[in-house]
Amino acid sequence: MLFILIFLICFGLVMLYSSSSYVAANEFGDSAHYLKLQIRNLLVGLVAMIILTLIDYRRWKNLGGFIYLVSFLLCIAVYIPGLGRSSHGSSRWLSLGPISFQPSEVAKVAAIFFMAMMIEKAPKAMFTVKNIVKELIIMVPLVGVVAYMNLSTAIIIFGIVACIIFVASPKYKPFAAVIGAAGAVGGIFIALAGYRMQRIHTWLHPEDASSDEVYQTLQGLYAIGSGGLFGKGLGQSMQKLGNVPESQNDFIFTIICEELGLFGAICTILLYVLLLWRMMIIANNAADLYGSLLVVGIMAHLALQVILNIAVVTNSIPNTGVTLPFISYGGTSVSILMAEMGVVLGVSRQIKLDEIR
Amino acid sequence: MGKQQRKRKKKENIKFQRYMKSKLVVFFGLLLACLCALIGRIMYINYTNGEEYKKEVLSRQDYDSQLIPYQRGDILDTNGTVLATSVAVYNVILDCKVLTSSQEYIEPTVSALLQCFPEQIEEEKLRSYINEESKRAYIVLAKQLSYDEIQDFVALQEAVDDDGNLKNPDIKGVWFETEYKRTYPYNSLAADVIGFTSAGDVGTVGLENYYDDILNGVNGRIYGYLNSNSDYEKTVIAAEDGDSIVISIDENVQAIVEEKIAEFNEAYKDNVREGEDGAENIAVIIQNPNTGEIIAMASYPTFDLSNPRDLTPYYTEEEIDAMSDEEMYAALNAIWKNYCVTETYEPGSVQKPFTVASGIESGTVTTDMTFYCDGSETFGSDVIHCFERSGHGTETVKGALMDSCNDALMQMSYLIGAETFLKYQSIFGFGQKTNIDLPGEAYTASLMYTLDNITPVDLATNSFGQNYNCTMIQMISAFSSLINGGTYYQPHLLKKVIDADGNTVSTYDPVALKQTVSESTSDLLKEYLYETVSAGTATSAKVDGYSMGGKTGTAQKYPRSEKNYLVSFIGFTPVENPELVIYCVVDTPNVDDQAHSTYAQNIVREIMEEVYPYMNIYPDEETTGINANKDITGATVSEDGSTSEGQLDDENSDGSITESEIVEDNPGGNTSENTNESNNSDEEDNSNEEDNSNEDDNPDEE
Repeated sequence: MLFILIFLICFGLVMLYSSSSYVAANEFGDSAHYLKLQIRNLLVGLVAMIILTLIDYRRWKNLGGFIYLVSFLLCIAVYIPGLGRSSHGSSRWLSLGPISFQPSEVAKVAAIFFMAMMIEKAPKAMFTVKNIVKELIIMVPLVGVVAYMNLSTAIIIFGIVACIIFVASPKYKPFAAVIGAAGAVGGIFIALAGYRMQRIHTWLHPEDASSDEVYQTLQGLYAIGSGGLFGKGLGQSMQKLGNVPESQNDFIFTIICEELGLFGAICTILLYVLLLWRMMIIANNAADLYGSLLVVGIMAHLALQVILNIAVVTNSIPNTGVTLPFISYGGTSVSILMAEMGVVLGVSRQIKLDEIR
Repeated sequence: MGKQQRKRKKKENIKFQRYMKSKLVVFFGLLLACLCALIGRIMYINYTNGEEYKKEVLSRQDYDSQLIPYQRGDILDTNGTVLATSVAVYNVILDCKVLTSSQEYIEPTVSALLQCFPEQIEEEKLRSYINEESKRAYIVLAKQLSYDEIQDFVALQEAVDDDGNLKNPDIKGVWFETEYKRTYPYNSLAADVIGFTSAGDVGTVGLENYYDDILNGVNGRIYGYLNSNSDYEKTVIAAEDGDSIVISIDENVQAIVEEKIAEFNEAYKDNVREGEDGAENIAVIIQNPNTGEIIAMASYPTFDLSNPRDLTPYYTEEEIDAMSDEEMYAALNAIWKNYCVTETYEPGSVQKPFTVASGIESGTVTTDMTFYCDGSETFGSDVIHCFERSGHGTETVKGALMDSCNDALMQMSYLIGAETFLKYQSIFGFGQKTNIDLPGEAYTASLMYTLDNITPVDLATNSFGQNYNCTMIQMISAFSSLINGGTYYQPHLLKKVIDADGNTVSTYDPVALKQTVSESTSDLLKEYLYETVSAGTATSAKVDGYSMGGKTGTAQKYPRSEKNYLVSFIGFTPVENPELVIYCVVDTPNVDDQAHSTYAQNIVREIMEEVYPYMNIYPDEETTGINANKDITGATVSEDGSTSEGQLDDENSDGSITESEIVEDNPGGNTSENTNESNNSDEEDNSNEEDNSNEDDNPDEE
C-alpha cells in the first residue's frame, strides 16, 4: 500500500508540474512555484504520516469527542473577522499566524474519529434505525456549520458518516432512505445559498449560462475530449496554457486526460482502486473494530473525493470544489490525506499475522 | 457464560463482524461501480465529442499567435547620415484580468504606474478600468513611449533585494508592447524629397512613398500549428526588417540650400504683399551633371516631417478651424508638394541655350552668323518686343545669349524651323517625364506644341522659353546634358539599397539615356554661358574666383495682365569640368518690380559660396572683387558692418544701373500687341515684354 501511495504522490507531482508550470511562470515568474509549495505540503503531510504510523491508533480512541469539539470550534472561527480568509467568494480558510488551512478538511477527520469511537462503544446500536438516527443527530452541528461555508465538504462528511454506518449496520433498507434524505438536504442547502444555484443551473443548462459560468466546465470537457486514447504526451496539453482555470487544482484530472489520454485516466483510477482495495484488506484484518472503522472512514473519504472530483470534471454532477486526492494542488487537503494514510498504516501495523483469517 | 465469553472476545479481539465484512465488500463494489461509470463517462465524452473538442481546443489557440513588428528601413544621405529612421517605442498595456485577480495587486500597481507615467496616465481613468472593465486583458494606457521613458517602471518591476527576491512582487498585469515609430532627425530637412509615413508604415509622399516596398519589411509572427501527427507546435517566424536606401542628397549641401532659401524668404517676407512669404515658391536643385544624381533639392514652403499635418506655421488657428476637410486636404497638399518635380511653369530665357544648341547641332545656325535686333518682331497683327525696345543692334550668336536678346532668338527660330525645333525640344526631354524616382512628377506633353498646331508666333515665343511649360527637373536634366558633353543622364536620388545588416543589396549606376548634342556643341555652349556669367546678364550669380557658366530667366506668368514673374537662374561650375549644376527658381517674388532674375542669382551665389569649400572645389580664376561682401538681397555689406541698398542691376561688374541691364533679365521680353485679343486669351500666348522704362510708350503691354 505504501508503494501505491508513493507512486500516486510522485505521479501527482509530475502532473501538477505539467499543468501548473505555464500559469505559474506567467504569474509568479517561476514555473515550479506550485510544485515547490506542494512539495512543502507533502513534507508536512509525510511527517504527520510517519508520526501517526508509529503511534498506536488506539490512543485516539477516547479523544474522539475532543477532536469533534475542536474541529467544530475551528469551523466557527472561520467566521471571526481577522481569522477567516476568503477565496473564490466563500470564506473557507483560517489563518493562525503563518499557517493557514481549511478547517472543513479537519472536520472530515473529526467525523471519522468520532464515528469510529461512537460505534466502537456500542456496535449493537447499529442494529436499529432509531439508534442510527440518534448518532446522526449528534453529527448535525458539525455537518451543518461546514455545509454553510462549503457544501461539497459537507456532502463528503455526510457521505463518510453514512458509509461508516452502512458498513457497521447489518441493514440495507434504511440506506436507500438515507440516500433520498441526502438528496433532500442537498436540495435545501442549494436553495439557500444563491451562488450555488448558478453552478447547478450551469450544469443543467449550459447553453443558457453566460460564458463565464460554463467556461471552466466546458474547457475541462474540451481537455478530456481532445486527449484521445493515449493523449498528446506528457507536457503537451494546450488547455493548461491558461484555458482551463486552475488546471493545477480541481481540474487537474482533465489535464491528465488530455496529456495521457483515456489510458492514463484509467490507470490513474486503477491506482485509486488498488489503494482502496488495500485499505479494505486492512479494515478486514484490523486488530479491533475501532481500527477497522477508522480505515473504513478514511477509505470512504478517499473514494468520495475521487468519485466526486472525476464526476465534476466530466460534468456528471454540478461543479463543486472537490480536489483529487494526492494529485491536486491544495495544502490542507494533501496534508490531511497524508496524515490519514498514516493512521491507516498505523492500523495495518497492529495486525498480527497469525490472526489473519 | 457463552455470552460473556463472546463479549470478552469481542472486546479483546477482532470486533469486525462478518456482516461488516460483507457490507465492506458491497461498499467497495459500489465504489468500483461508480469509478467504472466515470470511466465509461470519460470514454463517452471521448468517442462522441472527441473530434469536435479537439478542434475546439485548437481553435482556441489564437492567443498564441502574436505579431512581431518589422523595422522599416532607414533613408541615408550620400555620406550615410540618417535622414529617416524607425526607432522602437513602447505601448503600456494593462491586463486588467491579471491586475484584478487579487486585491493586493491593485494599489502597488496603480501607484507605480502613476509614479512612473505621471503625464500619460490619469488616475481616474485607471481606476475606472479597474472597477468597470476588470475582464479586459488588453488596455492601452499610453502610446509610443521611448525606451528611456519606460525604464523607471521596468526598474520597479524588476527590482530585487539582496536575496534575489522581487522587491515589488505585487506590480502585476502591466507589460510593454513594442512597435516602431518613424522619426526624422533633421525634421524639415529635405521634407519634400524624403516624405513621411502614415500609420502603419505607409509611405505618403516623397521617397517614403516611392520606395515604400523596399523600405518596408515583413512582419514576423509567433504561432502554433498542427504537424502531420496533429501535434501542436509553436513556431516563431522572425520579422524581416526592411532594406535601407542611400540617396544622393548630401545633408550638408541640402542644409546650406534650405538655409539660404529661408534667409531669402525672411528678407522679402511682408515686403510688398503683407502677410505673404518672400515669394510664392522658391526652389533650388543641385545636380551632378556627370551622373544625374540629385545632390540637393529644396522648395519653400516646406513642412516638418515629424509633424506633417501641422498647418499652424502657415495659417492662423481661426483659419484652420474654419477649413472644411477638403480645404484642409488641399492646404496640406500644397505644403507637401515638391515644387521641383510636381509643378510646371514657363521657364523663360533659360530656354535660350537649348534653342541655340538646336540651331548649331542641326546646322541651321552657325557661329559666324549675326542677327540684327531692332527691338521687336511682327507677326501679322502681333508685335513681339525684345526687352530692349530700342534694339540691341547687331548680335552674334554668343552676344544674343549674353544679352538675352529675344529678337535674335526669334530670328534663329525661323532658321531652325518648327520641325527641327520641336524635334530638339523632344530630344532634350521637354514634354516627357524624366522618371526621376519621386512620386507625382508632372506630365507636360499637353503643355507643348506639336507640329500640327504650332504657329510662327508660338515658335518665336517658344524660342525664348515662353508659351510652353516644363518642370524644374526636366530643365536641369536637359541642361546637364548640354554642358557635360551631350550625355543625358537619368536624374535620380537612389544610390544603393542596403539590407538590415548593412550589406549592399543593389547599387544604382548612372544611366546614360541618350546623346542630346555633340561634344563640340556642348563645348561651344559652355563658352557662351561662361561669358554670360562673366560679362552678360548673369554676373550676380558669380562667386569671386570660381568659374561659372549659366543663364538667367525672367518669365512672365499667366495671366499676363497681373505682371507676375517667375525669375530663375541655371548655372554650372567649374566651367572646365562641370561638377555641379544649380537651378534656382523664384516664383513671384514679394517685391514691387519682380522682373529681375537677380533674386534667383543672389540665392545661387550665396549657396555656392558655402558649397564650394564643402565640396572641395577650389578657385580656378583670378579674383576680381566681383560681388564681394554681398548678402542675399544683393546689398553690399561693408567692412564696418553697415549695408548699402541692394541693387537689382548689379549684374554689371561696375555696378552701374542701366535700363538695358534691367531688361536683359526679362526673358519673355516680347510683347504681343494687345489688339490681338485672341492671342491674349490663349494661354500659350504668353509673352509680354516688360520694359519698365518704356511702359508709357507701349500701352498695349500687359
